[in-house]
Amino acid sequence: MLETATEHRQAAVAERGAAVTAEHRLRAHVETLERRLRKRDEQRRAMLHIMGDLSEFNKRLANQRKAMLHVLGDYEQDRRRLARQTERLDSSRRALLHILQDSHQDKLRLEASRKAMIHIMGDLRETTAEMQRRERELRDKQEQLVQAGKLATLGELTTGVAHELNNPLNNIGLFVGNAVDLIELAVTEKGQIVRELDHAMQQVRKATEIISHLRTFGRAAPVSRESISLRQVIERALSLMREQLRLREIEVTVDLGPEEPVVLGNPIQLEQVFINLLTNARDAVAESPRKAVRISASARSGVVEVALADTGHGIPSGLEQRIFDPFFTTKEVGKGTGLGLSITYGIIKEHGGTISVVSPPGAGATFFIHLPLAPTDTKETLP
Amino acid sequence: VTTTLSVLIVDDDPALLEALPQALRLRMGGVTVETADSAAAALERIAVQDYDAIVTDIKMPGMDGLALLAEIRTRRPDTPTLIITGHGENALVVHALRGGACDFIQKPIDRDYFVGALYRAIRAHTLNRKVKERQLALESCAEELERLVQKLEPQPRAVQGRAES
Repeated sequence: MLETATEHRQAAVAERGAAVTAEHRLRAHVETLERRLRKRDEQRRAMLHIMGDLSEFNKRLANQRKAMLHVLGDYEQDRRRLARQTERLDSSRRALLHILQDSHQDKLRLEASRKAMIHIMGDLRETTAEMQRRERELRDKQEQLVQAGKLATLGELTTGVAHELNNPLNNIGLFVGNAVDLIELAVTEKGQIVRELDHAMQQVRKATEIISHLRTFGRAAPVSRESISLRQVIERALSLMREQLRLREIEVTVDLGPEEPVVLGNPIQLEQVFINLLTNARDAVAESPRKAVRISASARSGVVEVALADTGHGIPSGLEQRIFDPFFTTKEVGKGTGLGLSITYGIIKEHGGTISVVSPPGAGATFFIHLPLAPTDTKETLP
Repeated sequence: VTTTLSVLIVDDDPALLEALPQALRLRMGGVTVETADSAAAALERIAVQDYDAIVTDIKMPGMDGLALLAEIRTRRPDTPTLIITGHGENALVVHALRGGACDFIQKPIDRDYFVGALYRAIRAHTLNRKVKERQLALESCAEELERLVQKLEPQPRAVQGRAES
């Protein structure tokens, strides 16, 4: 230890110096430490301050976060709504697309249809033209048929007409012969001779009437319409048929009632109707014990009904409809053309009328013709 | 022909009833012509008068000439009846002749032929009548003679006696 003390002394002296330096150093160190401490303290205090600020800030932040969460919640809701809307929109869009596609297809189809339509229209126009041509042809043919029917009727009438003409010709011969006799007998009184010749002249007129009537009937006259008295039509038809009916001892009665039915039509065609019906009646009553034909008429509310009844064998039931067909006949081969009633039907139909037949068993046949009456203010002949 | 002839014409054509009688009057002097426009009217006339001849058309409405002919044959069997026919109605002509018509006249009527036929018919009728009258006269003469003979027969001697005396 002594050593150590010298040493210590020495050491102590040395140490004294060392201690002083150490002290200095320590002191400096403490100072440094103190400075550092102070600084740290300052820092701590600053830190605390900052911490307080931070805490404040944090609180604010927390508040803000809460607010933010609210906002976010709202936003989320909005977003979801939006998403839904988008979805809806999307499906709408898709539907729209479909619709657009469909409409496009429709448009295409429409276009194709339009094109087809144009084709059809073209075809139709052609067909219409063809139809018109055919119709014209048919009308021509029908006119020819009517004319043929008329000529057939004329042919049948010829025998009767020969008789019809024979009478006035016979009378003319007698009257003129009488006049010649009177002159040869040198009768001075002229009056007697003139009377004979006048009588002859009347008979000439009668014969001329028959001939001109036949000519008018046979002529292919254009089908004109005029107001015509039904009585006149029937009288004219009867005038052509009278001799035939008379020779067969067929009794004819005409009762058209008190008023004069006037119809709008073609006199020749209507006359043919009655000639055809009278010809049929004539043939129907040929074998009957009582031979009679009755023509009657009655007008009611703008329509005249003409009934032509005979006492003949009637029409077998079931044939009432067929008798109006062309070329249908119950007469023997070569006796009838089968055209008469079909032409009659056509003429009546053309005149806006109807024709029907009633034939109860064993009571003869009755033909009913309905024709519209001419308007009363157009009694004058129409163009 | 001593007495005036009377003829009945039956037809339904008034013009013919005008022309034919006049022709007869001109051609047959002193003839009386009556007319009837139907068979029924003709029968009425026949009932009251005995004609020398009747001329009738065949074709008439109602009763025709053939039926009228048959009626005439029963009511006036002696009256000659002539039939007027149209041209070519041969079947009817035959029918009429079988039915007792004495002749037929075709239309158109030839007046010479007609008057000739009518005369012939009337003459035949008159001759017939004369023959009948003569026959009747002869018959009555014969009867007279017969009666005379019968009267004379029972007394032949008286006759002889008278003859002797």
